[in-house]
Amino acid sequence: MTTLTHKSVAAPGKSIIEKLNVFTALALGIITAVVVWRLSLAFLPQDADGATMFTREDKITLLSMCGWFVGFMTGIGALVGPFRWLMGKDLSHDENMFLAGQDMGPKRYLRYTTDHKVVGIQYLFITILIFFLGGGLAMLIRTNLGHATGGWIHPQAYNSIVGTHGILMIVGTIIMVTGPFGNFIMPIMIGARDMAFPRLNALSFWLIVAAAVPLMWGQFIGGISTGWSAYNPLASQAPLGMDGYIMYICIFAVSTMVAGANITTTVVKMRAKGMTWNRTPIFIYGTVASVALALPAFPVFFLSQVLSAFDRALGTTFYNTAGGGSGWLYENLFWIMGHPEVYVILIPAIAALMEMAPVFTRRPLFSFNVAIMGIAGISGLSALVWAHHMYMSGWAPLLNAPFMITTELISIPTGMLFLVLVGTLWRGRLWMTMPLMSIFALLWNFMIGGITGIYLSDVPADAFLHGSMYVTAHFHYTLMGAGLTGALASLVYWFPKMTGRMFDKTLSWVSFWLVQIGFNVAFVGMFAVGLAGQPRRVESYAPTFNTGNLITTIGAYTIMIGMLVLLYGVISSARNGVKAPKNPWQAKTLEWTVDYPIPLENFDVLPIVTADAYGYGKAKS
Amino acid sequence: MVDVMTPQTPQWWKKPDVKKTAILWVICTAVIGFVGVEFHVRSMVRPASETMSGVISLMRIFTWAAAPVAGLVGAMCITVLTSKRHYGDNPPAEADHEIRNSPRATALWVVVSGILCLFALVTGMIVLQQDNKAVLDTQAIQINVTGQQWVWNFDYANGARSQDLYLPVNKPVVFHITSKDVKHSFWIVQMGIKMDANPGYTTETAVTPDKIGVFDVRCAELCGLLHAYMQTKVHVVSQADYDAWLTAHAATEAGA
Repeated sequence: MTTLTHKSVAAPGKSIIEKLNVFTALALGIITAVVVWRLSLAFLPQDADGATMFTREDKITLLSMCGWFVGFMTGIGALVGPFRWLMGKDLSHDENMFLAGQDMGPKRYLRYTTDHKVVGIQYLFITILIFFLGGGLAMLIRTNLGHATGGWIHPQAYNSIVGTHGILMIVGTIIMVTGPFGNFIMPIMIGARDMAFPRLNALSFWLIVAAAVPLMWGQFIGGISTGWSAYNPLASQAPLGMDGYIMYICIFAVSTMVAGANITTTVVKMRAKGMTWNRTPIFIYGTVASVALALPAFPVFFLSQVLSAFDRALGTTFYNTAGGGSGWLYENLFWIMGHPEVYVILIPAIAALMEMAPVFTRRPLFSFNVAIMGIAGISGLSALVWAHHMYMSGWAPLLNAPFMITTELISIPTGMLFLVLVGTLWRGRLWMTMPLMSIFALLWNFMIGGITGIYLSDVPADAFLHGSMYVTAHFHYTLMGAGLTGALASLVYWFPKMTGRMFDKTLSWVSFWLVQIGFNVAFVGMFAVGLAGQPRRVESYAPTFNTGNLITTIGAYTIMIGMLVLLYGVISSARNGVKAPKNPWQAKTLEWTVDYPIPLENFDVLPIVTADAYGYGKAKS
Repeated sequence: MVDVMTPQTPQWWKKPDVKKTAILWVICTAVIGFVGVEFHVRSMVRPASETMSGVISLMRIFTWAAAPVAGLVGAMCITVLTSKRHYGDNPPAEADHEIRNSPRATALWVVVSGILCLFALVTGMIVLQQDNKAVLDTQAIQINVTGQQWVWNFDYANGARSQDLYLPVNKPVVFHITSKDVKHSFWIVQMGIKMDANPGYTTETAVTPDKIGVFDVRCAELCGLLHAYMQTKVHVVSQADYDAWLTAHAATEAGA
């Protein structure tokens, strides 16, 4: 391996690749946005009189945001490689090494760095940031709902907070496992030197950063007052902030597709010698199922928002009944993404806990094949259930029964995942750590989330429950109670490999109990008010819902404290935690065979795998 | 009892941890079923229609059907958590039994969850069928419901129009629901019915109120600024009162 000598790349100063970083990206993004804004302001024709859907402001906003996007991606260096290809060349070896962040120190985290370990840490950082923002908004919501007369937030701002909280958390939970751990840990776990497409890996991360800015921008030009689902025609009458949402989704969808293609290819093509599918760790299956599920789902999401943008800015009527379109079209497109998407969030989190279960019980994973059947079954069925979100939309009452069937069938593969976890725990020697207790927490929360899901999947019961706080509590139980629990356990479990230090034990326990207890208090209260008839997304409510909402608010504050403790734990442990041994959990997967700091290409000699990673315990005599 | 042990082990059911789990299973099932049902039934509004009573009994049935599964998982977790715990920075010795799978346990688990799933489906289908039939009832009172930001309007067959809904008790009603602007969702809370109001389309739902009283209509689909305040009341009255109200209002409408 040649080391990079900076001066050798270009004689008169630094080469273009070396000059680009997040600051040039921000600068170029802002400049391009401003230029496009001034130009469109100057040259776009005025709207015709009486044209309601043909708004000049929307065009200007969308164009400026596109300008930002192109400027930012150019400034970060995403176009250098493709441009070279156009010229019939490619990056030199030195340039590739530079892109991989060799010998660069902390600066590589601010660049278009292709090393999967850097991308993993970048993802971890942005996930924490998103949870911080989304959680902050959740606290505003809960504070506003703390008492019935509450309403100290203006309804318009409140609706926008609800929508922004929703979409931030959806994105945050989508990337919370496959982002940090799928990028950092997964390639090492399968014995690869890097991802299959390192530059796409960097691209997928920086696209998320590029996407975040329009969303924040949108907050200052009217906000996202439609909830995260942004149903039309409400979205077409929403203020300009809606354009921020549209751009955010479009860019994020591309990021997800890029990451999905990359991770899938990596796992299929780059597993170590001897790592047959039977020896591939279950976490890998979870990650691949998640991103592979996103591959068909997110193009539809992208499309739904492009059509939404056309309706707003160009006067098309895809979703406008008066012009021949239909709001139901939007609902269908949205939920064709929206239902696979919840499993995109859930599956890798559960798979991560399945990966930890053998480690902390010192037993083999129970029924590896059943675990894979469960994951595959959920993934397959989840593409066929979207219209259960539309039982009460009146779209196609005759389809309610078939969608009820597919939805309830999902309980069978979901049950398989329970069987695998419980079977692994059974007669295990429990090593009492926060990740182990997270498995129990997942079983508890996901059981509640799952059973309430059965009520909701039943059309007659859904006629009462749909659109109430009960639904909100249900999906928080699945996405947060199950999903986030798995992600937090992953953080503690893989923290030693990612930072070289152990996560502070006491802090992990304190935060675990605060989050879990707060969570259950909060959302049991929310179930109760939902059953009593409180609709979702309301900024004030009848006095009868007082107690339940107060309980939820108290629970929410407890979660906040727990999450802040965790955040403090991350920072303090990463800085002065106990130095971690190579394999602190005595696990058998490949990521624990490399030393910290992990060398640029992970392995000096690529490993050869001869058994699966779950060979714990003596054979029965 | 789900067998998660090696099938070959003789008399696996005599092992102490299996016995403990079995006892805990019964207790957990009873507790979960009871607490689950009580939580739901007590939290839910008092029903004002057969539809809503049906919803409540569905919840009751589903909770009891799910309780044994949740109870088994709970019982196994408690057994595990109360037996061999290990604290410390180093892992415990590895378990003595290597149980990698149990085809019998898996098959039993899948069959049982399949049966429970089928049970939930059939139960749901029967009720759904009744609900669907009710919409086609031509003898029923027909009321047009129009949602707009942020009020509900109700139009009756004789031309009367109101913003509070009036219904006679024990008479089937079919609602024809539409919207003037964005999507709303017409929800009569205590009657357990809900249907979206879509601009440009008419959707139907039906109910037979069976209690005299005042109940709540709330909008259940985010519809903009004052979504939270898009509520009104349903007055379920006797047939005589209803007829009187209807004639009085038809008259005012005609005079206006």
